[in-house]
Amino acid sequence: MVRALLWLHDKLTDVGFQLGKLCLAIILFAYSFEVISRYFFSAPTWWADEAVSYSLCIGCFLMMPHVTREKGHVAVTFLIDLLPARKAKVAYWFIYLMCFVACALATWINLDENIRQVVKDVHMMKVKPFPKYYISVFLTFGFGMSAIHFLRFLDYRKLDIENKGEDFG
Amino acid sequence: MEWWVILAVGLTLLLAAFMTGAPIFVAFLLINIAGVLILLGQPGFGLVANSIFETTNIAALSAVPLFILMGELLFRSGSIDILFDSVDKLVGKVKGRQYVLCIALSTIFGALSGAAMGVAAMMARTLFPGMLDRGYDPRMSTGAILAGASLAPIIPPSVLVIIIGTLANVSIAGLLIAGILPGLMLSGMFLVYTLTRVRMNPKLANEDASTSTGVVTLKEKVFAVLRVSPFALIIFCVMGFILLGVATPSESAATGVLGALATAAYYRKLNLKMFTESLASAAFITSMILVIMASSKMFSQLLAFTGSTRELTNVVAGLDLSAYVMLFIMMLIPFILCMFIDQIALMLVVIPIYQPLIKSLEFDPIWFWLLMLLNVTVGGITPPFGYTIFAFKGATNRVTLQQVFSATWPFVLIFLVGMLVIASFPPIATFLPGLL
Repeated sequence: MVRALLWLHDKLTDVGFQLGKLCLAIILFAYSFEVISRYFFSAPTWWADEAVSYSLCIGCFLMMPHVTREKGHVAVTFLIDLLPARKAKVAYWFIYLMCFVACALATWINLDENIRQVVKDVHMMKVKPFPKYYISVFLTFGFGMSAIHFLRFLDYRKLDIENKGEDFG
Repeated sequence: MEWWVILAVGLTLLLAAFMTGAPIFVAFLLINIAGVLILLGQPGFGLVANSIFETTNIAALSAVPLFILMGELLFRSGSIDILFDSVDKLVGKVKGRQYVLCIALSTIFGALSGAAMGVAAMMARTLFPGMLDRGYDPRMSTGAILAGASLAPIIPPSVLVIIIGTLANVSIAGLLIAGILPGLMLSGMFLVYTLTRVRMNPKLANEDASTSTGVVTLKEKVFAVLRVSPFALIIFCVMGFILLGVATPSESAATGVLGALATAAYYRKLNLKMFTESLASAAFITSMILVIMASSKMFSQLLAFTGSTRELTNVVAGLDLSAYVMLFIMMLIPFILCMFIDQIALMLVVIPIYQPLIKSLEFDPIWFWLLMLLNVTVGGITPPFGYTIFAFKGATNRVTLQQVFSATWPFVLIFLVGMLVIASFPPIATFLPGLL
């Protein structure tokens, strides 16, 4: 059961990673189309700016679990790098715990806001208004999936300190 | 509670959270959630969610992934190698030519890439081994590469400029263009420094005649120029479109990516695998940066809510200090902090505090934020914590970290002299933006 859930978690992270790339491709397409359409055909689009800002937000949080899994988040580790290996391992365990707590709290806060947006029928005030939770739900996804990755890092036996200097990039 | 207690406690806790080694976004999240809980209670949590949402929904920030993607495409496709060979042919026979080549290449890469780390790692893998094999001084070579790579965030395109411009609410186009002259000036200063040092001590460029490039004919030089001409298209797509007012910085970043794709295709180096790998890398780095920015936003809002930033502005306005003394203090703090903490994290803390101050001190925003850009850029090469240093060291094991640390200081000093020159002669920064 646990293995199946872990497999699902990894697959969802992979899907987020692939869709995150797609979001960047959409940003590239939208602005390229806008420039060409505006300057060659005098026909500016109404959707380019909106497509870009939504894709940026969605892509950022779809990609976040993959960044967490790859320990790609930026951190100031020069003090912890001075510690001997065993103490560093303990220190990293507490850091991961702190990360799990922060991401779990952020997930709960965002989920609460998603529910409020659904209940109160909050819309985005754009050219084409639509429910805000269509976008904001990806924040919950990003923080939630990252929280689970940090939870998985807490397995002390598997805690990798060989490359502790490379942790979090 | 007094405003200064809130400010001091908030900043101290935040810096302490950074120093624990936790990811920066986690440090910001914990401090912000705790701050909201203390000041507003649980009902304030909606503000945290909205601050994260609003920050990542800014279309102008799309220039961050696009500028990164542009550099990734050029580096991963190998198109940069052609530029490398051509510039190598164009640099004449001069004592210390590898230093000249290094700085010339860095300046051009600065106009093609938006981040110093990529340039530093690439130069460490390609140019640096050749410099050592030719008998060049390891320290001087390291310093020249790191300083040259640091031109990338200054000369447009620049990821740091997009972040500063967005946070400080200053014209991104103006700030991007403002970096051109200071970037070229610094490049010239690095060149003068290295050549002067070589003239004073020829052993710094102890080049063996057998390893130097042979005689390059005029025909070969003309061919070298023609061969790199597609890169001019990319530079025009970014700088030209902004200067001509054809596109916004984000749109010009997108056209710059199209230019990079066209260049890679021209050199027959474009393929789907390389493109998707570039997309993955750019999206990865963007997510890393935007999550930090999104998590940090509430911190500045809390400072504003408590009245700390307003009170600080009032206190500073009441001080009988000259504008230049204030400028010195405002630059000294980030310079010292950048030795220990991440550049982006530092900007996220400092910019909301400085923003009202520069208004009350009546500084030109473009001039001031350009000086800040130079300041945080040099933070990338000031030991012990500097991403440009780490990127360089990660790509080569032919020098120790201690050697890298000692190599950077002369160039840091040149950066500081450059900042002093720009502080004294603001038109170096403000002339080009004035043409927009």
